[in-house]
Amino acid sequence: MTINDLQTAVLQLDRATSTPELVRATKKICALMDPNAAPTLIKVLGYNNPAVAATATQGLIKLGRNIVPTLLNSLDTGNYGARAWIVKVLAALRDPRGLDLLEHALIADIAPSVRRSAVRGLADLDLDESKALKELARCCNGLLQACRDDEWIVRYAAVYGLERRLTLSALPPSMKNKGRSMLIELASEQEDVKVVRLRASLALQRLCVG
Amino acid sequence: MKAFSEEQILDNLRQQDDTSAQYYAAWWLGKMRSQHRDAIPLLIHTLSALHKQPVDPDRRGVALNSIRALGLLRDASASGDLLQLLQSDDYSVREEAARSLGSMKDPGAIKPICQLLSGGIDKAGREQKGTALLSEPCEALIEALGEIGDDSAMIQDTILPFCKHPRPLVRAAACRSLLQLTGCSQWAEELKTLLEHPEPLVRRGALLDLGATGWTAALPAIKTAAVEASLKLVALRGLAECSDGTAVLDAMDDLL
Repeated sequence: MTINDLQTAVLQLDRATSTPELVRATKKICALMDPNAAPTLIKVLGYNNPAVAATATQGLIKLGRNIVPTLLNSLDTGNYGARAWIVKVLAALRDPRGLDLLEHALIADIAPSVRRSAVRGLADLDLDESKALKELARCCNGLLQACRDDEWIVRYAAVYGLERRLTLSALPPSMKNKGRSMLIELASEQEDVKVVRLRASLALQRLCVG
Repeated sequence: MKAFSEEQILDNLRQQDDTSAQYYAAWWLGKMRSQHRDAIPLLIHTLSALHKQPVDPDRRGVALNSIRALGLLRDASASGDLLQLLQSDDYSVREEAARSLGSMKDPGAIKPICQLLSGGIDKAGREQKGTALLSEPCEALIEALGEIGDDSAMIQDTILPFCKHPRPLVRAAACRSLLQLTGCSQWAEELKTLLEHPEPLVRRGALLDLGATGWTAALPAIKTAAVEASLKLVALRGLAECSDGTAVLDAMDDLL
């Protein structure tokens, strides 16, 4: 039955021409909560229509971590229009398998909003403190690098990330020190953007109390 | 891509043959907030192309970038040249000059800007046949008055008629400036209404306007607005930089 429902919904999507129709059809596909819908939703991400892509992104996030391999494979097939949205989905799913892609997006993507999502992912990836020390260090190094980004919002996200990661007790002291010095620098006048300074001061305050 | 040194950029602006190198150099100096003592004089020098007849279109492009850069660098020594450009017969030049004078908070700009806006929506705000432009760059002019921040009855009287302009983005600009100047919540309410406008472009404009005013009470409306997260973050930055407490920063964290 589910396959039939999905097929019907996909057909409706194929027939849709206007943005409201596309959004409606995409919402219907999302509502099925069918992992088999992932490839279709990923295809929708490449339509270059932000309203439709935002709907599909939410749908993909709700499908959960089972779709991570499908997401990663879709990038190999050169679906570049969808890349930004896929980074967002991977960051939201917090699945450690997304680490390579998030690291790559942070250094290589020209869109600040994609680098911001990648940083959010590095801050939030679910990593087992006792087993995934190497991955944890990669996340922290990515965050430290993001603190030097040209765009204020990427630096802001990096501060958020450092605050989260520096509370982990498994983190080696050398890394904690690097993170703290970076936050101190971003809280000072060396940082041009006031909101980044404010956020860095807040992070330092919380880390001292915590 | 090769990174340029500041000296190289200044040389690129100094030479006259390659206008695309000048164009990039003018943009770069503003973006990087150059503190070099040659930056302002060189940027001002490019403006002279706007006074030649006919204006060379490439040099006009360089000059427009220079006007924007001068607005970012906020050096008072550029004030006289920018004020003169408010009288230009080139719409875009008047528009960019107004924006830069606004960001420099130059009180000398108040009178000429009010003169350009005089006559209200039937004159300055009249739609031009066959183009999307109005007679005057009303949004830029009105927003500059709000940024400069000098509140007087004359300024309010100049802006007030534009709250009834048929174009929602002009109304938003008027409400934004009146909110900045008076701190009166009535104008915030108007902007919040525009935040629910069916046109995404209007919602985006109203959102950025609310952010620019630093009106912290707008936080819940900004959080729920149907606008993409990247723009909400820009608007919330405006709020966060004017407010105490962590509510705005927490909202920003949620949007990352």
